[in-house]
Amino acid sequence: MNAPLPTRLWRWFEQTRVGRSIFRVGVPRSQLSRAQAMVSSFLLHLQPAKVHRRTLRPATTLGLGLISLYLFAILAITGVLLMFYYVPSTERAYHSMKDLQYVVSAGLLMRNMHRWAAQLMVACVMLHLCRVYYTGAYKRPREFNWLIGIGLFLVTLGLSFTGYLLPWDQLAFWAITVGANIASYAPLVGPKLKFLLLGGNQVGQEALIRFYALHVILLPTVAAFMVAVHIWRVRKDGGLARPEEEAEDTVEEIAVGQLPTNKSYGLMELAHGTTPQVGIAQEDLVFSWPHLLFREILVFLVVLALVLCLAIFWNAPLEQFANPIHPPNPAKAPWYFLGLQEMVSYSAFWGGVVVPGVLVAVLALVPYLDRKRVGIGRWFARERALANTIFSVVLFALVVLTIIGTFFRGPNWSWQVPWKDVPAAKEEP
Amino acid sequence: MKPSPLNPQVTRRGFLGLTVGWVAATFAGMAAAAGAVRFLVPNVLYEPDQRFKAGRPDDFADGSITFIADERVFLLRRGNTFRCLSAVCTHLGCTVNQAAHGYHCPCHGSTFNAQGQVTGGPAPRALSWFLVALSKDGKILIDKSQTVPADKYLVV
Repeated sequence: MNAPLPTRLWRWFEQTRVGRSIFRVGVPRSQLSRAQAMVSSFLLHLQPAKVHRRTLRPATTLGLGLISLYLFAILAITGVLLMFYYVPSTERAYHSMKDLQYVVSAGLLMRNMHRWAAQLMVACVMLHLCRVYYTGAYKRPREFNWLIGIGLFLVTLGLSFTGYLLPWDQLAFWAITVGANIASYAPLVGPKLKFLLLGGNQVGQEALIRFYALHVILLPTVAAFMVAVHIWRVRKDGGLARPEEEAEDTVEEIAVGQLPTNKSYGLMELAHGTTPQVGIAQEDLVFSWPHLLFREILVFLVVLALVLCLAIFWNAPLEQFANPIHPPNPAKAPWYFLGLQEMVSYSAFWGGVVVPGVLVAVLALVPYLDRKRVGIGRWFARERALANTIFSVVLFALVVLTIIGTFFRGPNWSWQVPWKDVPAAKEEP
Repeated sequence: MKPSPLNPQVTRRGFLGLTVGWVAATFAGMAAAAGAVRFLVPNVLYEPDQRFKAGRPDDFADGSITFIADERVFLLRRGNTFRCLSAVCTHLGCTVNQAAHGYHCPCHGSTFNAQGQVTGGPAPRALSWFLVALSKDGKILIDKSQTVPADKYLVV
């Protein structure tokens, strides 16, 4: 036996009574145990034992959902660490941030990682949504998973929004003031909703503790649960969306308590509905262990390295202590809300309530409106030209609004051009 | 024969039982939801009083517009009259700044004239005028919970 010592030690451990009680299967060395390893492990069983080759190609999904999940995990871990020092009180919150930056060992790194992972997660979730749309992957039987995805998108924005009140600096205070006032434009319940959100009439201690509770426990729990359902549904809905020519003999619907007669089924296919195994030639499938797992670990390392680099080279901004008297001029939201802020600068009701509300509602209804089963699993399918064009126009408009809000708006939200010297914001009168 | 999912025969007892069960569950769920929402509505607010004293009338020069930062209002004196204008933008609640001919909001660019009326930007309403009175100890008393028309003055 000339395996290296750690390998030999591990093999010995696997065979001990304790080792067998923990792992049952051990490191797979045969095709049977490769499948068993995936099925018998709690952490691995969310994934199928075998996946389609197409799933492994980077261009199929760009890995955006997986990256979002990793960022969520990084956020959860750094977030829990930050909680050990952060005090959600208007007097101490800002000073906790200063402590984290200048006093706590690796505190700056943890805060920076949390911040950049949050920004990346918002971006990745948005891109993931676009990917699913452009590949037509929301169509039957994946309609409900699309809805869960829309919910996760909103929860992500909610996490981000509640998170940036917590530093209690100028950006935090005024972003929440503006955000809560947008809520008050909602029809009928608006003012009550604002009162409920802030726990009072003003952004103060009650608002801070509410946002804290939402940010550290309620929304993450909801998100984690929805993520689990989301991933589980990917499996149950037949794996990733495949082009119809590859999936043409997929069994569409199986009535409850009834087995299809056009195929011979082993006991493994006694499950209802479509499964990844149905309708795929066996030669297109590869074992998840190690092909899928290896790529997943690789993606994780890249994501972690990226977040670490960002966190090491760029500090998360912290503005001055929140001052309810003087909003910064211009008072800007983070980039992913600047399109919204630009719309709000025309009309709070239309730009802040009606347009976003209609957009989200239409987005949620998309799989129920667009029911033709064409162009599934292919990027920018020609058959979906109309749907893709409509989506692209709306997306383009939002990007333009965001760019305007980011670069072309100066003090008093007046027009400016980024390549000219910005007149310094006038100090308090 | 007992009703079962495979033999969905409805009996009177089964129907009544299901109805009562669902109605009870619906009411319980609604009561729990209402209770949760009501729990989240605070009954006591630890917020500053909306009424405050701004000082003696003599403290303000004739024709002056004084920004009272802590209360986010402007106190205007003209001759022996006093008025108080809200500095909270009616759009999304930022604090407006005094400009050459009126007021500017830095957040979304709303502009107001000297009377607090909207002259530009997304603000849906004019700035509010607050009730100004004279307290017993001779100080100016402002009540931010009561708005008044723009032409209502305190005459000292």
